[in-house]
Amino acid sequence: MPNIAFDRSWIEPFAHLMQNDGPWHKWELFQLAIEAEEAQAVTAFDQLQCLKYLPHLQPYPHQLQTAERVLNEMRGRAVLADEVGLGKTIEAGLIMKEYMVRGLAKKILILVPASLVIQWTKELNQKFGIPAVAQKKEYMWRQYDVVVASIDTAKRDPHRRHVLDIDYDMLIIDEAHKLKNKRTRNYQFVKEIRKKYCLLLTATPLQNDMDELYNLINLLRPGHLGHSSAFAANYVEGKRQAKNNEKLKEEIDKVMIRNKRSDGGIHFTTRRVQSVPIELSPEEMALYQGVTRFVREHYRSEAGALNALALITLQREVCSSREAAFMTLYNLYRRTAEDSPIRPSIMELVEMIKRIETHSKAAKTVELIKQINDKVIIFTEYRATQNYLQKYLHEHGITSVPFRGGFKRSKKDWMTDLFQNRVQVLIATEAGGEGINLQFCNQVINYDMPWNPMRVEQRIGRVHRLGQQRDVFIYNLSTTGTIEEHILHLLYEKIDLFEMVIGELDEIVERLNLSNSLEENLISIILESRSEKEMALKLDNMGQAIRAVKRTPPT
Amino acid sequence: MNQQQVRQYVERYLSAFSTHVMETHPAYLTVKLPVEVDKDIGNRPFYWSWVEKMNIPPQPMILTFFFDPENIPQGMRGEFVHFGANRLQQMFQSAKRHGRFVCMYEQSQSLPSKGMAAGRRSSPLTPWLGVNVKVSFLCDKKRDMLLYLGVNLYQPRIVHDFYPFLRRLSLSPAIPPYHYTQEHRITIAQAWQMIEREVEQRIGEVDQSWADEARERLEEELEILEAYYAELAMREAPEGEEAASAEDGPQHVPEPEPVSAPVDDASPSPPDTPAPVDLGDFRAGGGRILDFLRMHAIPETPREAIDQTAWRKSTPKEEKERRIAELRWQYEPRIEVQVINGGLFFLHNIPPFSS
Repeated sequence: MPNIAFDRSWIEPFAHLMQNDGPWHKWELFQLAIEAEEAQAVTAFDQLQCLKYLPHLQPYPHQLQTAERVLNEMRGRAVLADEVGLGKTIEAGLIMKEYMVRGLAKKILILVPASLVIQWTKELNQKFGIPAVAQKKEYMWRQYDVVVASIDTAKRDPHRRHVLDIDYDMLIIDEAHKLKNKRTRNYQFVKEIRKKYCLLLTATPLQNDMDELYNLINLLRPGHLGHSSAFAANYVEGKRQAKNNEKLKEEIDKVMIRNKRSDGGIHFTTRRVQSVPIELSPEEMALYQGVTRFVREHYRSEAGALNALALITLQREVCSSREAAFMTLYNLYRRTAEDSPIRPSIMELVEMIKRIETHSKAAKTVELIKQINDKVIIFTEYRATQNYLQKYLHEHGITSVPFRGGFKRSKKDWMTDLFQNRVQVLIATEAGGEGINLQFCNQVINYDMPWNPMRVEQRIGRVHRLGQQRDVFIYNLSTTGTIEEHILHLLYEKIDLFEMVIGELDEIVERLNLSNSLEENLISIILESRSEKEMALKLDNMGQAIRAVKRTPPT
Repeated sequence: MNQQQVRQYVERYLSAFSTHVMETHPAYLTVKLPVEVDKDIGNRPFYWSWVEKMNIPPQPMILTFFFDPENIPQGMRGEFVHFGANRLQQMFQSAKRHGRFVCMYEQSQSLPSKGMAAGRRSSPLTPWLGVNVKVSFLCDKKRDMLLYLGVNLYQPRIVHDFYPFLRRLSLSPAIPPYHYTQEHRITIAQAWQMIEREVEQRIGEVDQSWADEARERLEEELEILEAYYAELAMREAPEGEEAASAEDGPQHVPEPEPVSAPVDDASPSPPDTPAPVDLGDFRAGGGRILDFLRMHAIPETPREAIDQTAWRKSTPKEEKERRIAELRWQYEPRIEVQVINGGLFFLHNIPPFSS
C-alpha cells in the first residue's frame, strides 16, 4: 500500500478549544463546510471534473476527447498539434483546469510568444476562470501561481533564475515548433525547467521534419523515441521521409494528438464565395490603362530608378481606389528629380485622376452592403482606400469603424466592440490581431485581394472559425479587365483557395518548394510579361503547378 | 451542484452570518455583507487593512448575485454565481474556515414532563469525537473519499457514517436541562489513533490497482530513461560535443548569443526569497498588510547583479536526475488524509454500529 500521510495539525487547536470550552463554531457552518468538501471532492480518477466549473464553456467533442486522452493516457505530457482554428487553447485550458480542480496543479507557467501573452491571460481568465496573470515584474514569478510570460523574457536573467528555481506543476508552451532546434538557447532553457505536467502546442505539421519532431518529443519525454541516432536508424529515411511508418506512428500517438478538420465531427458552416465583377467607367479604365503603361515602361527602362515594388503597388492600388493610387503617385513625384522625364507622365496620370468623378467599386460596395443589410467586414490592403471608404460610406448613410494592425490592443477591442454593438461596417486593413473575435459577423467583402494567399485565408479565418453559427458569405470585388481579375481567377478558380482548409495551403506552398514566395512569383510574372496574353499563360501555369501538388497527397 | 442547490447554499451561508438581505427575487439576491463575510469573500483586503488602521467605520459592501442570468431585469448589475464561480468557491473556503470545530449536545426527544422533572435523576449524555476526513489517492491522477468517523470517548469504539447519523438528531450548542455528560475515558489523541487505524484499514479494503498501475508506469518510464541515458553516454561520450563539453569546461550555445561558463563554478543561486505565505492566513493572525508586504516582498534584482552569461546547461547526469525526480513527483502513488472538521458531540442516542 502506498504511504499514507495523516494530517494531525488539527489536534492541538482542538484540544485548546476543549480546554477553554470554545469559542466553538456554528453547527450550520460545520455542515456547510462538509457540503463544500462533498461538492468539490473528486469522485473518480478518470472522469473530467472541470466541466461543472465551466457552465459557459461548450467544448467541441474533439476538444473533450483530447483533454481526456491527455489526462488518462498521456498522463499530462503531450504535444497538442491540432490544425489551426480547432481550439488548441481550449484543449490546453481544459487540461489545466482539470488538474487545478483536482488539486494536482497549482504552480503553472505558460510560455508564449510576446504578442500572445495578453490574449492567453485574458482567455484563461474569461473562459476558464483561471486567475492567470501576465508577467511584468520580477516578483510576479513567485507571487502568482499561474503566470503567462514570453519565453524570450523568461530565459533571460534575472527571470531565468526564478523560473529555474521553481517546481512547476505544469508547463505550457504555445507555438512550440519554435523549439525544434535543440541547440538554441530557448530549447535548452525549456529543457531545464522542472515540471510535472507539460503541454506543447503547435499547429505546424511536424511530420514534415523528423529531427524537429524528435527534438520536441525529447523535451516532453526524453528517450521516448530512443536516442537520436537510434531514432535515425530506426525511423528516418531522409529528412522528410520516415520509415517504419506504422511503428513510428504508434510511438508518436502516445505523446501527440493532431485533430484535423478533415477528420469530420467538427462542424463548420458553409463558405459561400462569390465574385462581384465591376465594370469600370471609361475614365476609370483610361486611368487604369495609363497606369499600366506607366508601370511597364518604367519597369523596363530601369532608368527611372523606380523600384519594382512601388510600381506593382501602384498597379494594384489603381484597382482599389484612385485615392490609394494618388498617394503613391504623389510620393513618386516627390522622390524624382525636378527635371526628371518621369514627372510629366506622373502629372498626366494625376490629371486623369482628377477627371474621374465616379467610383464604380465604392458604389458597388454600397449597393452590396445595403443588399446584405447586416454586419459586414470590408478588407482592403490600403490605408488611403480605407479612409476614402469610410468617408464614402458615411456620405451614403452607412456607419463604419476602421481597424488597423497598428492600433493598440485596447483600441482594437474598442473598435470590435463598436462594430458588434453600434455600427454596421468594419473596414480593416489587415486580418490583424490574434484573438480578435469577429464570429458574430458572417459577411466579408474583399475590396481588393492580397496576393499572398495566406493573408486571404487569415482574413476569412477571422469569421469562419469554430463558433461561427451561420454560413459565411465572401464577396470578392474584381474590376473587369484588370490584373485584379487575373489574380482572383488564379487564386479562386484555379487553386480553389476558398475551398481549402486552413493549414492545407500551408502545406501545399511548402511542398511547391518555390524559391521565392508565391507573392514574389506573382509580381515577377506580372511585371515581366510583355502582354496580357503572356501574363495569363504564366499565371495559368502556376495555377496548374499548385493544383498538381494539391492532388498528390503528402507522403 | 445545480443552480437551485447553489442558491440554497449561498442563502444558508449568508444567513449563518446573519446577513442582511436587501432584495430577494427568483433570479437574484441582493445582500449587504457583514464584516466577517466581507473579509472572506469581498476581495478587498487593502480596504480592510486601511479601515482598521485608521479606525473608521467600514462601508458595508452590497452585492447582487444572479442565479438565473436569463431572467434578470434589464439594466441590473450583478454577478452570475454558479458552481465554478470564484465567489462561490470563496464561500466554500469561508465555510470551511468558520466551520471547523463544534461542540454540540443532543436535545432529548422525550423531554421529561414538568411533573416528572423535579423528581427524576438527570440522564447521562455520552461524549463522542466526530471527525470528518478526506482521503485522497494521488499519483498523476487523483480521487477522493470522504469518511465520517465517530469515536465513543466513554466506551472506546469507532463508527462510520457518524455525521449522517448526527444530521438526524436534534442538536444544540447548550447542554439541555436535566442532563450531565459522561467522562472521557480516552484522550483526543488516543481517539485519533483509533481513527488512523480505522482509516488505514478502510483504505486497505479499497481497490489498489490504481497504485499498482502508477508504479508500473513509473518503472516503465524509469527503464526508458535508464536505457536512453546509457545510450547517450555510450554514443556521445567519446566524441559527442554535449557530454564532453558538459563535463569539462566552457560550453558553447550558439544562439542567440554565444555564452560560456565554467561548469565547476556554482551556478548563481536563486534569489533568497521566502515562499509566499498566504495573505489571508497572515491577516487572520492579526497581521497588517503593509507588514506582510515588507516581510514577503520579492526584491527586484539590481541591474548590476543581472548576468546574462551565467548560464550553463545541465550535464546529462544532472538532466537524468532531474527527470527521475520529475517522474517520481508525477507518478509515485501516495495517500493523504486531511481533516475537514471535527467536534465533540454529547449524545443520548447511539449510532448504528456498522463496521
